[in-house]
Amino acid sequence: MLRIEGLSAGYSAKPVLNDVSINVGAGQFVAIVGPNGAGKTTLFKTISGIVKPSGGRITFDGVDLLAVPPPQRAHFGIAHVPEGRQVFPSLTVMENLEMGAMTESGRRDWQANIESIFEWLPVLKERRNQFAGTMSGGQQQMLAIGRGLASSPKLLMLDEPSMGLAPSTADFIFERLIEIRRQSGLTMLLVEQRVAEALESADHGYVLEAGHVVLEGNNDTLRADDRVRKAYLGM
Amino acid sequence: MEGFLQALAAGLLIGAVYGLMCVGLGLIFGVMRVINFAHGDFMMLGMYTAFYLFTAAGVQALFGNTVGPFVAILLAGPVLAVFGYFVHRALISHVSGTRTASLEGEGHYAQLILTLGIALILQNGGLIVFGSVLASIRTPLSSSAWELGPFLDMSIFLNKARSIDAIVSLAMMILLSLLITRTRIGKSLRAAADNPTAATYMGIDVDRAHRTAFALGCGITAIAGGLLATNYPFHPFVGLEYVIVMYAGVVLGGMGSIIGAFWGGMTIGLVQQMSTLILPTQLQNAAIFAVFLLIIFFRPQGFFGRMVERT
Repeated sequence: MLRIEGLSAGYSAKPVLNDVSINVGAGQFVAIVGPNGAGKTTLFKTISGIVKPSGGRITFDGVDLLAVPPPQRAHFGIAHVPEGRQVFPSLTVMENLEMGAMTESGRRDWQANIESIFEWLPVLKERRNQFAGTMSGGQQQMLAIGRGLASSPKLLMLDEPSMGLAPSTADFIFERLIEIRRQSGLTMLLVEQRVAEALESADHGYVLEAGHVVLEGNNDTLRADDRVRKAYLGM
Repeated sequence: MEGFLQALAAGLLIGAVYGLMCVGLGLIFGVMRVINFAHGDFMMLGMYTAFYLFTAAGVQALFGNTVGPFVAILLAGPVLAVFGYFVHRALISHVSGTRTASLEGEGHYAQLILTLGIALILQNGGLIVFGSVLASIRTPLSSSAWELGPFLDMSIFLNKARSIDAIVSLAMMILLSLLITRTRIGKSLRAAADNPTAATYMGIDVDRAHRTAFALGCGITAIAGGLLATNYPFHPFVGLEYVIVMYAGVVLGGMGSIIGAFWGGMTIGLVQQMSTLILPTQLQNAAIFAVFLLIIFFRPQGFFGRMVERT
């Protein structure tokens, strides 16, 4: 579904991604793990068009994504749940969800989507008329996920959903993501620093270090790999 | 007491128009974060547009002297909105929005110089095209009044033109707040203002949202300018007199708060009129800024401003 080939990108003179190739098949849950500064967020921003690549190709459902203007990419079925949540603070929860549903598919499926979102993330229903800026970090993260789901995406991209959250809240978010995936069969691409949880949730993984893919495989292979065990799982 | 109520009424009437004027600027600043120094001059263009629509384009002949001016004023709004749309497209978009999002200072320096340049061109171009003679949009309503009362032997006189100006301003304000709180376009404007990057992730074209806000802001201020022109004569440099009041109103309301800008403008109108009770008229503007400083001293974020960081 999403095919990234030989992607290089960075900010002015500072390259961040170097010849990165990643494949996400329909229905897969793929995790990209790695330390701070490995280029995970830059990779997502390049997919969404906020960062312009210096080389390589990105195709989504056979479409050359780099030829699509950034605001149009959401309309192709890519939902980006950004790092640090980035909900719209002066909009209510409901209005935030409506912004997620700016796409044609989001508008069409609005009723059904909102029901599932409220069922998966009931706190959003309770707080639907509250301003997003007044919610806690965990609630904002759930809103950011709900907002992504409201667009009826083909691919849900999650950038560090556990960032800045208490461990129990982060665990709850992971548990919700797995449940959403189980019920909807949605294709997901996750970027995480919490390697153990990420590899446990996903069925395929990539390890990104200093802008290079250093390792890839299904979750069992990666969890059994010595380097991953030593560097990330603390075993 | 009678003088006080009279000044209060006059302040409310002019305050509503000032409020609308400030909202035009507040919308542009709130959504785009662009300081538009040329906004007073867009208003000047709105005044002349209403003037020529009324006198030369047949509105006077068609609607007469009483209704005609207000028809012309309301038509000047869309004309200036279209003008603003193209000014954004041709000039402002090059120094704002996604093109400059990654630059240091987000292109603010270029925006300052560009909007100052536009202001100079409009002022001096206006002088060449319109001449330096004072113009005004005359209606018989400007020189007649409704009498309220008498209550307890006091009557308040409301200038008819100013009363209608205030009513039109309030109606526009209600329409605008419905637009930004209820409609999809309005909500996407607020989302683009809150977080342009996240708005892009939602599929909102932020540059297009900016263009919409700029056009709307120009149109709204043009209507406010036309309304002011029914009572105050104008000239090509009139924008300078109002742009400072506009900024004071926007800051008072809270930078970024669109509805707040209306109350900021209202406050300024009230202070201006009430100050005439105790101060000579020449000190009206001094009184405005004395009160402005006082309010900002106790409430630096303005009436509706939020003390939160923008993500």
